[in-house]
Amino acid sequence: MLRAAGLTKAYASGPPALSGLTVDVPPGSVGLVGANGAGKTTLFRLMLGLMPPTGGWIEVAGHHVAADPVGVRSRLGYMPEHDCLPLDQTASDIVSTFGELAGLPARAARQRASDVLDLVGLDEARFRPVGGFSTGMRQRTKLAQALVADPQLVLLDEPTAGLDPLGREEMLDLVARLAGFGISVMLATHLLDDVQRVCEHVLMIDHGHLVLEGPIDQLMQTTGLLRVEVGGQPDAVAVLAATLAERGLDSRPADEHRLDVDTTTAGEAAADTVRDAVADLGLRLYALSTRHRSLDDVFLEQAGR
Amino acid sequence: MSAVPPGLSGAVYDRGYRPYTGPRGGRREATWALWRLSVRRALGLRRSWRQKVFPWSLLAIATVPAVVNVGIGYAIKDNPMEIPDFTFITYREYVGVSTALLLFVALTAPDVVCPDRSQRVLPLLFSRPLTGTDYVAAKVGAISAIVFGFAFLPQVVLFVGQMLVSDGALDYLADNAAVLWQVPVSVALLAVYYGAIGVALASLTDRRIVGGVAILGLALVTSAVAGIIVAAAGDGGTPLAVVNVLALPLEVRDLVFLGHLGRDSDLSGVEGGGVLAVLAYLLVLGSAIAVLQRRYREVAL
Repeated sequence: MLRAAGLTKAYASGPPALSGLTVDVPPGSVGLVGANGAGKTTLFRLMLGLMPPTGGWIEVAGHHVAADPVGVRSRLGYMPEHDCLPLDQTASDIVSTFGELAGLPARAARQRASDVLDLVGLDEARFRPVGGFSTGMRQRTKLAQALVADPQLVLLDEPTAGLDPLGREEMLDLVARLAGFGISVMLATHLLDDVQRVCEHVLMIDHGHLVLEGPIDQLMQTTGLLRVEVGGQPDAVAVLAATLAERGLDSRPADEHRLDVDTTTAGEAAADTVRDAVADLGLRLYALSTRHRSLDDVFLEQAGR
Repeated sequence: MSAVPPGLSGAVYDRGYRPYTGPRGGRREATWALWRLSVRRALGLRRSWRQKVFPWSLLAIATVPAVVNVGIGYAIKDNPMEIPDFTFITYREYVGVSTALLLFVALTAPDVVCPDRSQRVLPLLFSRPLTGTDYVAAKVGAISAIVFGFAFLPQVVLFVGQMLVSDGALDYLADNAAVLWQVPVSVALLAVYYGAIGVALASLTDRRIVGGVAILGLALVTSAVAGIIVAAAGDGGTPLAVVNVLALPLEVRDLVFLGHLGRDSDLSGVEGGGVLAVLAYLLVLGSAIAVLQRRYREVAL
């Protein structure tokens, strides 16, 4: 879905917005995660061919962007974060217009507009001006215009921004279903819960640099923690941590009785090492459980390095 | 049929999804679609009746001179008589009924470009297969096409009417064959000029009212400045009369119809006035297009 090598974008002033990004992201639903100013919008602009990179190359949906920067947009849908709809037009007119602008014949665009407005739950409101829509309805209209031309890939910029909890759930449900329609999704957000819920793959960037990229399941597994609860002596946690360090396991105290052991390198064998160390020290083992970290933990840890 | 349960009116239903397998165009189709959209908006089509009143009233007003001329021509056809204070309008003069067209441009050019920026629609438009050049072509093309239509249709009414009330339709056609190309060419030059200037000025602001005032202000100020300069220069005329940007397409019109500047032109006494008028026309048109290209060269998401 997205391939890039050494992708760099530097503006006239300031540090590069993107610096040497090299990724190979498979089709499906991908979360693009990063704080404000991380380079998410710059990556979207490069993917849409709206500006050339200052270094490296980028390929989107199998098409080299530099070779046909305008044509690649025929295969993409884009949903901006901000308000971007002509408020005096109806949802139906807006969506069909953007279908035509994507190259669909007028009649097909109207039919597709009707279909996708049904899909996003705006079938009854389609002939009302969007100026009278709620935030949730406007977000759905924006999603509908991104889908109207049946793109290979949709770029969604903070699609749940400003939505109430119910609206957020509905929007995430919609996004999660897109992969089933054969439409790849790139979801740019700083809400890691959203990514964890609807995406299969994650791409983390920070200050223009790639922080982490990979399948979410794998990241959660390889970055898992083992939580150990011990007792038997007042400084049991400290003693155990020191012993584990000697045996090659990093750990940090979670509180007075619990220790989080990093299993990134040792994998499943870490549990045996912890068990043996507790037994050798004569401590009491109250609990030993696998604790998966959230994407928040992963991002904070990786970005902090 | 069961009623929708309370609280479920805003729910999302899974109606399935059908992929699109039909034809898919590129830049040309996208530009054409944007042109159609802009024409519809400027004419008030698919909008409330209030948005339709102005453009269609303008077309009616622009056609009045043609109808009056044809009507009088018909009335005195079999009974020639002198009508004091009335002279038949010529095709060349009719091209110059530009005040109404300028008013139209001042109201519609901001309406087709300002909302795209103020409502932040531009990022969506440019996420489609469109370039800045395509956008400019579609917007200028839309305004120019409507100005052309509003300036040309009354001429058609005048020509056909005059032909029908003349003693011999074929003789009239033969005698006036030249206007068949002079009118469309001069009207097209006027329409492109007004369209480009109007859209360029409107593109500089997000607010429609500011755009409209800027267009009318440019016309009024340059006209007033030119008037002062010409009055100060005396009978010999002055090349500085080209600052009247509104008059330039009319000078070019005279060159199309007459092959030289009109006697009433402020540039008629200036040596090389015709060339100067054409160069000034091209300079203003080129500047407007350059402003537009720069304005839409890059759009932030």
